[in-house]
Amino acid sequence: MGRFHQLNSTLGLALIIITGYFGAKLLRKVHFPAVTTYLLVGILIGPTLLNLIPVRIMMLSDFISNFVLGIIAFSLGANFTMKSIKASGSPVIWISLLEASFASILVTLVLITYAVLRNTAIAPSFVLGAAAAATAPAATVMIIREYRARGTVTEMLLRVVAIDDAWCLILSAFGIMLASALASGSVNFTIIISSLAHVFLSVVLGGLLGVGLHYFSKFVRNKEELLIITHGFILFIVGLSIQLHLSSLLTSMISGVVIANISNRSTPYFESLRKVDMALFLAFFILVGANLEIGMVPQVGIVGLLYIVSRVIGKFVGVAVGARISRVDPRIGKYLAWGLVPQAGVALGVALSAKALYPAYGAMIFTTITATTVVYELIGPLCTKYGLQKAGEITLTE
Amino acid sequence: MNTLLSAGLILLLGFIGARLLKYARLPSVTAFLLVGILIGPHVLDFVTEGIFAASDFFSSLVLGVIAFSLGENFRLEEIKKGMKQVMWISLMAALATWLLVSGAIISYLIIVGQPMYPAIVLGAAASATAPAATVLVIREYRASGFFTEMLLKVVAIDDAWCLMLAALAIAFANAMRADVFQISIVFAGVGEIFGALIIGASFGYLFSFLRRFVKTSEEFLVYIFGLILLNVGFSIAIHVSILLSSMMMGIVVINLARENYKFFEVIRTVDAPLYLIFFILAGAHLDFTILHKMGIVGVLYIIFRVIGKVYGAKLGARISKAPKPIENWIGLSLTPQAGVALGIGLVAKSTFPDFGNYIFTVIAATTVIFELVGPLLTKISLIKVGEIPSTE
Repeated sequence: MGRFHQLNSTLGLALIIITGYFGAKLLRKVHFPAVTTYLLVGILIGPTLLNLIPVRIMMLSDFISNFVLGIIAFSLGANFTMKSIKASGSPVIWISLLEASFASILVTLVLITYAVLRNTAIAPSFVLGAAAAATAPAATVMIIREYRARGTVTEMLLRVVAIDDAWCLILSAFGIMLASALASGSVNFTIIISSLAHVFLSVVLGGLLGVGLHYFSKFVRNKEELLIITHGFILFIVGLSIQLHLSSLLTSMISGVVIANISNRSTPYFESLRKVDMALFLAFFILVGANLEIGMVPQVGIVGLLYIVSRVIGKFVGVAVGARISRVDPRIGKYLAWGLVPQAGVALGVALSAKALYPAYGAMIFTTITATTVVYELIGPLCTKYGLQKAGEITLTE
Repeated sequence: MNTLLSAGLILLLGFIGARLLKYARLPSVTAFLLVGILIGPHVLDFVTEGIFAASDFFSSLVLGVIAFSLGENFRLEEIKKGMKQVMWISLMAALATWLLVSGAIISYLIIVGQPMYPAIVLGAAASATAPAATVLVIREYRASGFFTEMLLKVVAIDDAWCLMLAALAIAFANAMRADVFQISIVFAGVGEIFGALIIGASFGYLFSFLRRFVKTSEEFLVYIFGLILLNVGFSIAIHVSILLSSMMMGIVVINLARENYKFFEVIRTVDAPLYLIFFILAGAHLDFTILHKMGIVGVLYIIFRVIGKVYGAKLGARISKAPKPIENWIGLSLTPQAGVALGIGLVAKSTFPDFGNYIFTVIAATTVIFELVGPLLTKISLIKVGEIPSTE
């Protein structure tokens, strides 16, 4: 392959788009969702295997992933209009809270038991438990869009994955606090307070920017300008959140919520995004695949396996109980949890902050989460598709 | 500042700048360039390393998209209509500019007793035009009519002439400098043009061949960008002109199947942000601190380039019996100058160790002027021929 190592950036990007595009066409024949294909293509042409992606493109990974996650979070915000919050606000809260905390608690308990049996430290279990709460909105949204899923389960799923991130942020603060309390013997409440402040400030910033976008948009005259404004604003929101160390997912989502509610003609924003973002999504998932540490999979170990299994069980039980409590369509209780299996960047973020805050076990936590993320990224989208199919909400005839 | 914030500011400030300068009747291109200068490294310094690092890659993508879109204007049935005029006008405008600019600068260099060969290269650079700026002005003011159509074709064809002239000029200059005429430079120039045409045509066929797999309109975009990038990347890899190969690809695509016009429409609906970023980055790259270095040669370059374009185009129009408005105004609308000229400057820089830098500086400095003033002149010509609807 020596000669091809020197692909220029343009050719590298072309390769990504073309292999992704035609790969998805090809693997559709064996009923693979496009997301899975993109990830596989990414792994194939990424640095671990063929190493065809030029370094300069790999360096764009962070930029593209923050941008795309911002777009997705912003679009998810559109699902929270006042009308829909009134209609299904409490089920969303119940289901998301329970699926997140059940997964967390179950993973924590199982890993503590294992640690006690093996006579190792139990502290990392709390952090891993917190990471288990997270889901992956991007993969879920892609599946819903690709198969044109619609119906009550789909709608609820979109709202649950959106809310999820907030719970995960709070839970992970608790997890890290408990873990360090165990290690040092004293409870440090500042972690909790700072994380609540983090969530609160993200919401405030997102709200302000949403209102700002609304006023700004009065100057927009045509669709081309709308495209510029919407993308510019999302980049601005995400960039500012990163600059202020806030959660860019939360700020983007809240901006989307605000726009959906205060602007009586907000749909054009979301439509203008949908028109162009497919190429971005494709590049995003291929780069995610290329960045996946597949070499780590053998290191999953028993802890990883326990994590994978108990997280999924936690999600399923949590959704079932939440759906029962809030008396929604029983299909939601039965099938929604399939859509929560994917795990990606949010969990990795928890792992990264644990590594920084809590050096003693940080590396072990990080390895477990990275390795399980590889597994979940690959099976997650298939699970989501399966769940939506079972719920009878996939309208696209293959 | 992180890269995302910087990119967000580029888009938002570009939008605001264009809207504000609309009150001063300035075209958006000019506004974008000014915003670029403002947020560029010499003033506010809002553009991060990361964006600068990606900017040449980004520019070649945008140039590819623009040139591909220009190809749409060359449907076979249309080529028959005005092609003779397009050829004469573009050839004459390029040749006259070359001769006049070279001649004026040679006289000056003889007077001050310097070697004359830089003048020949400068003349060739002066013959280049700027398709991107021209297209954007046309689109912004929704200009339409036979003048607009002719202009689009002329700026498209122009690049081919300019590349040939540049190859000849560099070969001549080298001969004057080293007393050997290297015919291989001319061949390399001609080869570059043919190479670009062959590559573009092949990717055009590939495009048309694979399009049967493209079903939904969301896929259209991914497919188009993928293939344009492939063509551009390939052209870069084998060192042929991106503009020519992409244009050829567009020509082949539009002529192979009637329904292929849809692809060009899809591009038009989404390329606005691309143009904006492209011109803001171009502005950020403009180094206006070198303006004072262009000296008398730069002033001669500017004056004789405008004269050459106006009268060369007039001559070409008269020879091919083009309508009066074209004869009078098309030359002025060809004044923008940008990347193609700078490309020639770069080649000169690497070919001539002694005066290469000087040549590059003159081209870069005059580009600052022509980039800013050119779009305005294009707008004025379009207004004069009455092809901009007067809603303003």
